[in-house]
Amino acid sequence: MNKQRSDSEEQSGEQQQQRASPARPSFGKKQLPSIPKNAVPITKPASPAATAQLANGTHASYGPFYLEYSLLAEFTLVIKQKLPGIYVQPSYKSALMWFGVIFIRHGLYQDGVFKFTVYIPDNYPDGECPRVVFDIPVFHPLVDPVSGELDVRRAFTKWRRNHNHIWQVLMYARTVFYKINTMEPLNPEAAVLYDKDVQLFKSKVIDSVKLCNSHLFDQPKMDDPYAISFSSWNPAIHDEAKERMFTHKRRPEDHHKGLQVSGLSWVKPGSTQPFSKDDNPPLS
Amino acid sequence: MMMASMVANGNRDGRQGEALVLKGVDPETCMIVFKNHWAQVVKILEKHDPLRSNTSSNMAALGVIGLSSGGPMRFGGPIPGDEASAVQNYVEHILFLLMEEDAGQAGAMGPILEFVVMENVMERLFLWSLRRQFTDDMKLEQLKMYEMIVGQARQPLLHHKPVLRPLMMLLSSCSGTAGPEVEAELVSLLNQLCCVLAKDQSVLELFFHTSEDQGAANFLIFSLLIPFIHREGLVGQQARDALLLIMSLSAENQRVAQHIAENTYFCPVLATGLSGLYSSLPTKLEVPGEEWHCLHREDWLQMPTLVQFLNSLEFCNAVIQVAHPNIRDQLVSYIYNGFLVPVLAPALHKPTLEEVMTTTAYLDLFVRSVSEPVLLQTFLSFILLHPHRHTLPGNVHILDTLVSRIDTPFQLGTVSLALFQTLIGLYCEDVMLQLILRYLIPCNHMMLSQRRVVKERDFYSVSAAKILALTPSCCSPEHSPPPLRQLDSILWSKGTDNSPNTGTMETEETFLEEDGSCYSCVIGSEIYLDVNYLHYLYNARLGISSCTRACQVWSAPYDGEDPPPEEGRQAQTTTDPAPTNQLELEWDDSYDAGPVVSLEAATAESSRPPQLPAAEPPKHIQEMRRTAIMLVKGSYIEESDFQDDVMVYDLVAKKDARDTVTKGSKEVKAHVADHNSNLQSPSAEVGDDLMGQYEELIRTLGSDEAGTGGSSPVKTVDKEFRNPVVTPMEEDEVDFSSFSMDTPELEKPHSSLFGTKLRSGSTRSHSVPFTGPFVSVLLSRLENMLDNSLHVNLLLTGILAQLAAYPQPLLQSFLLNTNMVFQPSVRSLYQVLASLKNQIEQQASTKKDFPKLITSAQHCLLARENSRECSPLEAGRMMKSSPPPQPKTISLARTEVFATVLFTEFLKELAAIAQEHSILSHVPMEE
Repeated sequence: MNKQRSDSEEQSGEQQQQRASPARPSFGKKQLPSIPKNAVPITKPASPAATAQLANGTHASYGPFYLEYSLLAEFTLVIKQKLPGIYVQPSYKSALMWFGVIFIRHGLYQDGVFKFTVYIPDNYPDGECPRVVFDIPVFHPLVDPVSGELDVRRAFTKWRRNHNHIWQVLMYARTVFYKINTMEPLNPEAAVLYDKDVQLFKSKVIDSVKLCNSHLFDQPKMDDPYAISFSSWNPAIHDEAKERMFTHKRRPEDHHKGLQVSGLSWVKPGSTQPFSKDDNPPLS
Repeated sequence: MMMASMVANGNRDGRQGEALVLKGVDPETCMIVFKNHWAQVVKILEKHDPLRSNTSSNMAALGVIGLSSGGPMRFGGPIPGDEASAVQNYVEHILFLLMEEDAGQAGAMGPILEFVVMENVMERLFLWSLRRQFTDDMKLEQLKMYEMIVGQARQPLLHHKPVLRPLMMLLSSCSGTAGPEVEAELVSLLNQLCCVLAKDQSVLELFFHTSEDQGAANFLIFSLLIPFIHREGLVGQQARDALLLIMSLSAENQRVAQHIAENTYFCPVLATGLSGLYSSLPTKLEVPGEEWHCLHREDWLQMPTLVQFLNSLEFCNAVIQVAHPNIRDQLVSYIYNGFLVPVLAPALHKPTLEEVMTTTAYLDLFVRSVSEPVLLQTFLSFILLHPHRHTLPGNVHILDTLVSRIDTPFQLGTVSLALFQTLIGLYCEDVMLQLILRYLIPCNHMMLSQRRVVKERDFYSVSAAKILALTPSCCSPEHSPPPLRQLDSILWSKGTDNSPNTGTMETEETFLEEDGSCYSCVIGSEIYLDVNYLHYLYNARLGISSCTRACQVWSAPYDGEDPPPEEGRQAQTTTDPAPTNQLELEWDDSYDAGPVVSLEAATAESSRPPQLPAAEPPKHIQEMRRTAIMLVKGSYIEESDFQDDVMVYDLVAKKDARDTVTKGSKEVKAHVADHNSNLQSPSAEVGDDLMGQYEELIRTLGSDEAGTGGSSPVKTVDKEFRNPVVTPMEEDEVDFSSFSMDTPELEKPHSSLFGTKLRSGSTRSHSVPFTGPFVSVLLSRLENMLDNSLHVNLLLTGILAQLAAYPQPLLQSFLLNTNMVFQPSVRSLYQVLASLKNQIEQQASTKKDFPKLITSAQHCLLARENSRECSPLEAGRMMKSSPPPQPKTISLARTEVFATVLFTEFLKELAAIAQEHSILSHVPMEE
């Protein structure tokens, strides 16, 4: 995510510099498909599914673009929410699969670090709600002890576009560790213990947290370049990264100064009149 | 002359040997040689000294007399040639010794320099040259001498008055009339002195003091440079470079700044110089072709006068960049009041189309050439706020005139479009505020319930889908034959791409080549995609991010809350205190439909008494209405100069368009010019005659409009562009309601679409929904896309795409959110696009060969695009080597065919922008 963005920033930076000596964009700005170099056209006939128009008049061939952008929009929302202790990353292979990790900072599951995967249905946003599956089935009433899947559906009985967002699912995944619900559990043992013998429940949780944390440095379950993996602290790698993270935070203003801003404004804040700023040189 | 040649050659050729030799010689020997040579010189000098003074000369007295009289001075008889050349010979050596001398310890003078200072050597040499005939040759000699020692001495010389003072006298003696050679040398020396000044500011004080000694409280080297500011060629360039050095000096030195601002004519000369240079520009450009719309570099490089103007403008830009704020402000003020207002404003209102078009093209070029914000601001505030006409209570600003000219059918319209492309590309809040945003701030253009939608983002690309759904069936990708249809087989997978963020897709080829491992999670299956849509997405991303970044300096987000809608409305009303009446509402609407109707409405209006103050359209609309009334009533002619030419152009154009097509455009132009010359003459009869013509025009045009069917022209137009919208809008009702859950059923859009005006509250009922003349004009020209020439459509769609890339929610929601529900009187981009789709489908269904023509046009545009990207030679080769099945060529006159192709591409461009907005605008850029 970050890499991509910084790339685009650099590119737009170049664009700005061009403004100093503005060159009019070439006349033929509209993009037309270029003639393929090897003049062998692709003769494979389009599949009927691709050419068919959807009921609402949309060309089917743009469908993947809409899905991809919907998921990107969801992801930008997640970033914007700044959910405490939750980190996610879409997989390299598919935008429909996100890797995540959640840090529990207090409560029964304190110090727990749980890796999980979010699976988004491919008819998003019109399908079921996304699924959340923990890599290791953590001992919890709402987590399936075999598959590790969290019961998300109880919170999102019907997934409604525009109202339900993936960050809410992630938020829910965090909440279950702070506020235990034992109704209709996926792990009846955990539910019963919580209700009848909290002490034993607690010790089972501690064991479960220990187990999860002991597998923290394991290879990711999924063979994917963007799967989240942990490694022990290596000063050669991590010190510098840490340094950069902190320096960036401390000096956001300096960072801004370096950028040459190309926009113009002489509008006084709060005014809707042009050239209302006080420091305008007198013209007459 | 001998010395001149020696100095000119410097120590580069013959003298180099001597210089090298000198390095080995010990300073004492040099001193002895120096004194020896000097003694010889002094002998000759004293022999011809009329005052016979045997010590240091009484220079000041002599010099001043000599200089002020200005003419050649002779004391006694003429000096024999052999003696003159002997002196030259000695001086040659002396100067070399001086130049080659190193400074003494701890910065002290070297012994030779000390001697030069003590003995007043330089003054006496200057005096000697005065005593001989002080011709240009002599000046040249002296100037070169100083240029050499100033430039090459190893120790600072100018700190010493005995060196500096004769230099200043020489300089002032060279001011005024002198040959070009002397001027060139003078400027060259001045430039060198400025370089010294820039390096060593302590000399600056001495320059001031020396000037005072001379009785003139001016900064001589600066004043001497001023006359060369606008000079062309090397001399001008050197002078401007030198002045710039002083300008940057002024930024740190209050005294210099004050002197320049208060005691010199620097700023006025600079600004009025622009006016002078402007007046020598061609008033009518020879336009290479119909497609031409702005002055490119290769255009103006062919025009020496324009190059010269741009040089001076560039210099102003540079001065403003480096100079002290006092100088900067003064210069800006002079440019505004000495060039823009008295020269450019009238030029923008010249009587003929060609002249106005030329001025517009110049203005566009000037705005593009200026980079310094303060200077840009000067130009922009001239465009945005300068009242061209002072009529109470409102003003017509330059901007209003320019906007209205977009609608002229001639090249003026195209050139005006190009100017706005430049203006919008500045990312300037003030420009966007005046052009569009101020009409959107009150949020009157949308239903009240829609205000909350403004900031919402389109999570699921609903708008993009709706825009793309307007793709005409004849242009859907499946219908194009292979070379045009680049429907690569794309696998929706992330197998090999290494950018994690965007929708990463790759063609099957790369997938098969590089992707050995089989990934299990692939979304969907193989899908055929329009590959060039990826390019649109990429460009949209670049465009939006640079625009978003630029707009970080803006004062407000323009998101429907800040600035607050109510205040915005109040601000608008308070600035428009003139009471207006109900009928203006009609006028407003009709403005969208074109000036013909507006005139008619205005005619009707003028004949009725004013009613209660109600609607308050923007100031300039009121003003344009007034203009229209005046035009009709005949009072137009009483205005001293030709005021609102656009109306006239338009009327004539419309009339001519309706006349037979046999008339060439030249005739039309001549026609217009005729009218204008009539207008300018104050004769009453001519005016009457003219008014008769106009009234006739209005009558015929009005009846034409009525003849097309509708009872009122406004309604006809309304129907045309609203009907097609109904169908697609209804389909997406569901989407809309789910956008915001709480939307009450009552305010669902279809009730309003069929013409029932929903007034959502008494507070808003009196303000007229209006998105401003600029948007109106753009959309109405876009609606005529099928009749527009290709280049007009390229400009139009380019501008709209530019606007759509702005991240401000008000603008974005207005242009791209297809779910927004606007007031019935407000026309949206989507409505126009839908109307165009219908027009195209109609054409396609009636013309059998339409698909073939589309293919030809696509080939033609493709070839055009390719030839633009590579050199002509290369393009030619490419066309030969890879022959696409070139169908028969298609004439550009088939505008509807080209427009159809362009329309399809424009839809993709807009959809891509909408999609990128959904993921870009809402993420803080600094992350």
